[in-house]
Amino acid sequence: MSLKIGIDVGGTFTDFLVARDDKAPQIHKVLSTPEDPSIAVMQGLTEIAAAQEPAATVNDLLGSVDTIVHGTTVTTNATLTRSGAKSGLITTKGVRDALEMRRGIREEQYNNHYTNVEPLVPRYLRVGVGGRLRRDGSEIEPLNLEDIDGAIELFKNENVEAISICFMNAFANTSQEQEAAERVRRALPDAYLTVSTDLLSAIRFYERISTTALNSYVGPILNHYLEQLTGRLEADGFSGLLLIMQSNGGVMAPEVARRNAALTLLSGPAGGPGAGLMYANAHDQRKCIVMDMGGTSFETALIVDSPVMVNEGLIDRHRIALPMLGIHTIGAGGGSIGWLDEGGLLRMGPQSAGADPGPACYGQSGSLPTCTDADLVLGYLNPDFFAGGKIRLDVDAARQAIEEHIATPLGMDLETAAAGMYRVACTNMAQGVREVTIKRGFDPREFPMVVAGGAGPIHSCLICEELGIPLQIVPRESSILCAVGMLMGDLKHDFVRTFVSRLNAVDWKSLHDLISDMTAEGSALLDSEHIPESRRDFRIKFDCRYLKQYHEVSFEIPRDSVDAHDTAAIATAFHREHNRLYGYSLEEQDVPVEIINVRVQAIGITEKPALAIRERVAADASPALKGERSAYIPSEQAFRTIPIYDGHRLTHGQHFEGPAIVEEVTTAIFVGNSFNCFLDKFGSFVLYKKGRDDLVARALNGDSS
Amino acid sequence: MSQIDPILLSVYARTFKSITDEMSISVQKTTRSPILCEAKDFVTGLYDATGNMLEQTENLPILAFSLAPVCKYIVEFFGDEIYPGDVIFHNDVFSMGNQNNDVAVYKPVFFEGELVAWAAAKGHQADIGGAVPGGYNPNAKEVWQEALRIPPVKVYEKGKLRKDVWDLIFANIRLEIVQHDLRAQIGACTVGERRMEELLKKYGRPSFESHKEALFDATRKMMEAEISHIPKGIYSGEGYVYFDGHHEGTKFTIRVTITVDDNKITFDYSDTDAQTDGFVNGTFTSSASATILTFLQMVNPDIPHNEGMVGPIEIIIPEGKILNASYPKATTFGNHLCPPNADAIIRALAPVIPDRVTAGWNNLLASLTTGIDPQIGEKYVDIGFMGLKGGSGAMQGTDGYDHIGMIDASGGVLDQDYEMFEQQTPHLLIKHEYITDSAGAGQWRGGLGVETIFEIGSDDTQLVTFGDGDFEPAFGLFGGHDGTLNQIKLTYPDGREVIPRNKDLILGVPRGTIYYQAAGGGGGYGDPRKRDRKKLAREIRDGVISQEAADALYAYREAG
Repeated sequence: MSLKIGIDVGGTFTDFLVARDDKAPQIHKVLSTPEDPSIAVMQGLTEIAAAQEPAATVNDLLGSVDTIVHGTTVTTNATLTRSGAKSGLITTKGVRDALEMRRGIREEQYNNHYTNVEPLVPRYLRVGVGGRLRRDGSEIEPLNLEDIDGAIELFKNENVEAISICFMNAFANTSQEQEAAERVRRALPDAYLTVSTDLLSAIRFYERISTTALNSYVGPILNHYLEQLTGRLEADGFSGLLLIMQSNGGVMAPEVARRNAALTLLSGPAGGPGAGLMYANAHDQRKCIVMDMGGTSFETALIVDSPVMVNEGLIDRHRIALPMLGIHTIGAGGGSIGWLDEGGLLRMGPQSAGADPGPACYGQSGSLPTCTDADLVLGYLNPDFFAGGKIRLDVDAARQAIEEHIATPLGMDLETAAAGMYRVACTNMAQGVREVTIKRGFDPREFPMVVAGGAGPIHSCLICEELGIPLQIVPRESSILCAVGMLMGDLKHDFVRTFVSRLNAVDWKSLHDLISDMTAEGSALLDSEHIPESRRDFRIKFDCRYLKQYHEVSFEIPRDSVDAHDTAAIATAFHREHNRLYGYSLEEQDVPVEIINVRVQAIGITEKPALAIRERVAADASPALKGERSAYIPSEQAFRTIPIYDGHRLTHGQHFEGPAIVEEVTTAIFVGNSFNCFLDKFGSFVLYKKGRDDLVARALNGDSS
Repeated sequence: MSQIDPILLSVYARTFKSITDEMSISVQKTTRSPILCEAKDFVTGLYDATGNMLEQTENLPILAFSLAPVCKYIVEFFGDEIYPGDVIFHNDVFSMGNQNNDVAVYKPVFFEGELVAWAAAKGHQADIGGAVPGGYNPNAKEVWQEALRIPPVKVYEKGKLRKDVWDLIFANIRLEIVQHDLRAQIGACTVGERRMEELLKKYGRPSFESHKEALFDATRKMMEAEISHIPKGIYSGEGYVYFDGHHEGTKFTIRVTITVDDNKITFDYSDTDAQTDGFVNGTFTSSASATILTFLQMVNPDIPHNEGMVGPIEIIIPEGKILNASYPKATTFGNHLCPPNADAIIRALAPVIPDRVTAGWNNLLASLTTGIDPQIGEKYVDIGFMGLKGGSGAMQGTDGYDHIGMIDASGGVLDQDYEMFEQQTPHLLIKHEYITDSAGAGQWRGGLGVETIFEIGSDDTQLVTFGDGDFEPAFGLFGGHDGTLNQIKLTYPDGREVIPRNKDLILGVPRGTIYYQAAGGGGGYGDPRKRDRKKLAREIRDGVISQEAADALYAYREAG
């Protein structure tokens, strides 16, 4: 029996998905333990073991697990809460302030109270050293070893835990960085060390120094955490493979994560997109949008064959230039607070009531109206069946909060105010979806929407109507989608080298050598992760631009085009991508194309659990009806009594028309009146626009392949 | 008129903003000149059929508030002859343009055969013809010595390129990249046009029109509420401009008289000095932008940027003043009259809204180098953005922002990346760091200034300087001290030192010359002796305030 467990450690909950060949996947949730997240992990595993039939000990369970994939927000939280390692920086003399200056940006131009973000390394621990390279990598001045020793002395005295090394133009010649690193390693063997070109050998000094400093800042914390976790797991009998989720949607061995800790900065939500694609695949779709609405934040991402990547991200206003999934986060969730601005416009969030004080209807100390309060007033939530009845919702408290803060000041009735809150929240989220689609040149209407997060399926119909999206998929595991995705990730290692050359004058021998070097590095990592040759794949990307443009467009190049030196094919691919992104290309003007960076991604294909396929039953959904209640229908701007289904009793093949509500323990689904719902072979709820049966024809007709 | 839906109103407001942001990304990602794609010296916006502002993304606000007036001018100029697929260029400062180099692209948006809106993108071009590459000609006295004038002209009509017009324009501009950058701006307008068409298709024209008006109303109310927080009265202040580019020792005064009524604020510059006979002159829209952006920093930063926001603000600048030059005066320096204009406004309002103003900001002193990169044999133009960004003024409760740059950009204009700087120019960067003790001392200190040193790597380099702040530092407020002065200095390989004037043209700078620039710190706010001791200890440790200065100005050790 092959047993795999995905574990997603979030801010509030730690989610588990237990997948095995012979049974339906099992979902489990425990409260997180932020002070040592591995405690909640072990607690959850213990509970899962106890729930087995017959009940097992955690040792028995772990003994039979062959893979655990783990997503963590340890590094994200350390950055956001400024609790990273005490760090030092060694850089080229004269530019030690680049890290703090962040190129002189103030994100809020009209806000004079807006202050700069605290640097990851304080100025007195940023040391400039002699030694200089030209832009082509040739040496002007050798590395000044006395300066290095001075830095080492300072770091020793100050008990620095982590050190970064980043020199000007090192992307073109790494020797000075390596020389400095060797000296530091010898003198301070216990310090966590990051060398900029080991992590990111690409041009752009600020991006490299910021990424390097982030890696050092979170490195010791991740190391410590992984030691605790592997220690606990091994002590309890685990001898399988532990893999860590990376920001690029792939997974990696803990040893790789320890060296490149910054790769985990987006580890938490990175499972979502891959999982979304799997559910979309069931409907012959190679692309989708994934939306995940939790308590405080809304995350959305785009998948076209594979999740869309970006090479430039930000975390807490620090630049991170490692490839990561293009996940867009906004402050919109169940806890988002409704308020009126000075002009009397209704706004939702980004402030959130969170879990404490919580929405007004939680009956704790919260008295401000939240999105959840509006959902309750509108009839989408069942006050007696929230979290399966574990939390009773106070309808009067919700009504009072909305009345007082929204309805009365706007001079409208309570229900209209609640409907307005619902609509503004959905508009904000639709805007978030535009960020990952329209802003990157994709038309959202061509994508199915995979809906996740506890609050997601209540809002997805209006979001999809706003964007014209005709097809939604709400997976059975929608409340723990990221944990599912963790089991679907391949091992992925990204490499980049700056290689500045005009496309029509490429030195192919150098280019091949460069690609071979990166491929060899990738192979070495995959060796260490025990991936056989037959399960390896290497993908090549170029970052190109029109001559003298400043920003590059990154696009995949088939290996054949490189081997055949097929400049024309590469140029065509570039023109096409530029046109798609920015509405024009300069193909006709015959402007030369320039390569800036060459990237290789080494992929080790993992074994993935298959989702169980459900037996198909008759279309009639009435056996799962559990009642009816009055709920707000946005398109009619009125309440109507609509049927309520028990989601746990609905299965493959059943079909019903909107408007309707589906209740499950971990979520509720509002099927708007322009959608119908059908359950597919995995038991996912498929919401399709009325009259668009063509979108789900094969599944509707019973072809469950 | 269709009925107002308060919720749909929020939807419109959000959507306008997302469209102008999207247009901004398009410009940034596709242009070539570092001035646009790295420093973001451009603005994108949407306007209604008659040219009223719907929303803008203001990377560099000094360009921003001329777009609507020019749009109105274009609508009047072409009258009935505006068609789908038209693309119009404009830079002319005597028909509401703000600066010759800032070329705007306008594209009309049609719905069901009617003109409903405009998409526009305006950016600072690397060259605009005239006598001096890059456009800054301190010797200019008339506009023709500065630039090619582009009054409203269609470069596309009904979707067809007017090749003759296009070639005429670009035959008068030195650098080929300017063509590509303007193509990128057209691309951004196309992006805006498409999104507006989608929006109208969804909600229809009547809904768009009535909600637009409601949005203007709501925004105007927000601005009026902000103005009503300022005590009613008449206040005045001054700011100073040093050197007109021609006559040593000259100094000019910008005088503003601010009248605050119940829900209206008037900025009257009638007592300001007359125009100069050089290029140190403003245009009306550039000066009005300076006034608006300074005032916006004193009110709620969340007010949407549309016609309703500017409605309660009246600006009076008689023609012939240094802030509103008459035809055909030279005006390229006009955008850089923003800092002294801001000084005048801050000095006027500080006594009545002490909790909303900052102390003085570091004034701009910039340089622009051009030459041939000897390794690749190609021409480069570089505006030294990293060197020109000093500190902002402190305010009650908040220190000034370090290395933010002039108030007209307020941190929207970025340094070149150092490695990209060395790729795109033949220069070698030696130093770019904060200057110790540059921040004006105060209970809240000014922002730090920076020092920039590089070795010039081209032969026969041409250097233009433009700016100020080398005579008068950023001023302190309420017991806070002044910041430090700007300076540019060249040390030639033979040891000779050249200190350019603040508006100067230096020819034949030899390879190997060391370029030095100090951008000063911002003014401090409040008595420095009251400064938080923990912060001071950290600043001494970090070397941004010296022990001596801490003791002398902040009474650090005396106070224990």
